[in-house]
Amino acid sequence: MTHVVTESCIRCKYTDCVDVCPVDCFREGPNFLTIDPDECIDCAVCIPECPVNAIMPEEDVPGDQQHMIKLNADLSRIGWPSITKRKPALPDADDWKDRTDKLSELIR
Amino acid sequence: MPDRTDAAIATDALVIGAGPVGLFQVFQLGLLELGCHVIDSLPAAGGQCIELYPDKPIYDIPALPRCTGRELVDRLLEQVAPLVPTFHLSQRVNTLEACADGRFAIGTSAGLRLVARTVFIAGGVGSFEPRRLPIDGIEPLIGRQVFHSGEPVASTAARHVVILGDDEAALQYALQLALASTDGPASVTLMHRRDSFRAEADTIERMRAACAVGRMRFVAAQASSLECAGDTLTHLVVSLADGGTEALRADVVVVLWGLSPKLGPIADWGLQIERKQLVVNTETFETSVPGIFAVGDVNTYPGKKKLIVCGFHEATLAAYAAAARVHPDRPGQLQYTTTSARVHRLLGVAS
Repeated sequence: MTHVVTESCIRCKYTDCVDVCPVDCFREGPNFLTIDPDECIDCAVCIPECPVNAIMPEEDVPGDQQHMIKLNADLSRIGWPSITKRKPALPDADDWKDRTDKLSELIR
Repeated sequence: MPDRTDAAIATDALVIGAGPVGLFQVFQLGLLELGCHVIDSLPAAGGQCIELYPDKPIYDIPALPRCTGRELVDRLLEQVAPLVPTFHLSQRVNTLEACADGRFAIGTSAGLRLVARTVFIAGGVGSFEPRRLPIDGIEPLIGRQVFHSGEPVASTAARHVVILGDDEAALQYALQLALASTDGPASVTLMHRRDSFRAEADTIERMRAACAVGRMRFVAAQASSLECAGDTLTHLVVSLADGGTEALRADVVVVLWGLSPKLGPIADWGLQIERKQLVVNTETFETSVPGIFAVGDVNTYPGKKKLIVCGFHEATLAAYAAAARVHPDRPGQLQYTTTSARVHRLLGVAS
């Protein structure tokens, strides 16, 4: 199993999660964070940190976000750098935080 | 192999991590009459139960339909008390090495040295360390002008203090300084990236009242850089939530962002690791090094579930395996706590 970042993160990228990850398994893209499933140890510490509840265990991912399981794995393998320290959210994060269907906004 | 056995504390068993599984490990070792020392990086026992969810109910502890993390830890501490384990808190195990005589040498961040016949790694997701303010050039200021959760803060009298955080601890600390009747700071600024707090409603109200009367100030912003005069910090430059930047006078910066776990040096101890977790044999919960066991969230094996109740099972079997290692001459007979006079003596109860 692994934990998965869902579409809620896109265009927000609050990055609170990366601060608490004990194994530094987050990877940073231009407007999204992804969890490397080969590194995640399922500790669940990051879940409550996300202000938009974007992170969930693989087995709890709802039907309309199932594609994010594979997408997290794929995006972890295209060379996005590791992110281990919190940084400011994207400037218009608060305008996008309530949207959960933002896949078309994802920048690779 | 190193010889670190002189002038070190000798023990049958060392448990690394005083979370629920580490505490139950202590109990099971005690029942099998293995002397036990416990080390934890936090100042109190409890691990994740206390750091991450002290007040949230847990519903899957057998025969305890509902208890909070804090209640579970209190009950476990009560359970181990008769076995008088020795706790070494507020220090992290940095080194773990095999000695020539088959024992293990352990060194902690506080300089403590132990030699143990068996080691139990109940390290959970790692040791809890303060979440640090990630700004370039901050390192030399830490401990002088910049302080993090759990660290003693230098004098704040007549100094400009900036506090970062949004929880009860941060607000209480800001209020304590802002309302101080003697030796008060020159100014108190509370900073969080937005105007919302994870604190009691009453505390938030008192903080707002203190701001309204000018005893302190709240700024919705994030720190972006430091301004120093020589090697002394003078200002914290922040990006305001509603745009723009401001340089806050700052003689003392207190970052109260709490603690977060870091797996730490466990990965450096030469044990077989899979996805950053210790591989164990499910008969004994021994790692790839005989005599070193791993229980709870830190281990992995086919079918592993990260549940407290599974950790209790793991700790039980690990204790029996360790007893067989420490006392190969003694029969490893199962003793029921309901009937065993020996167990009753250990627990200080009448048979």
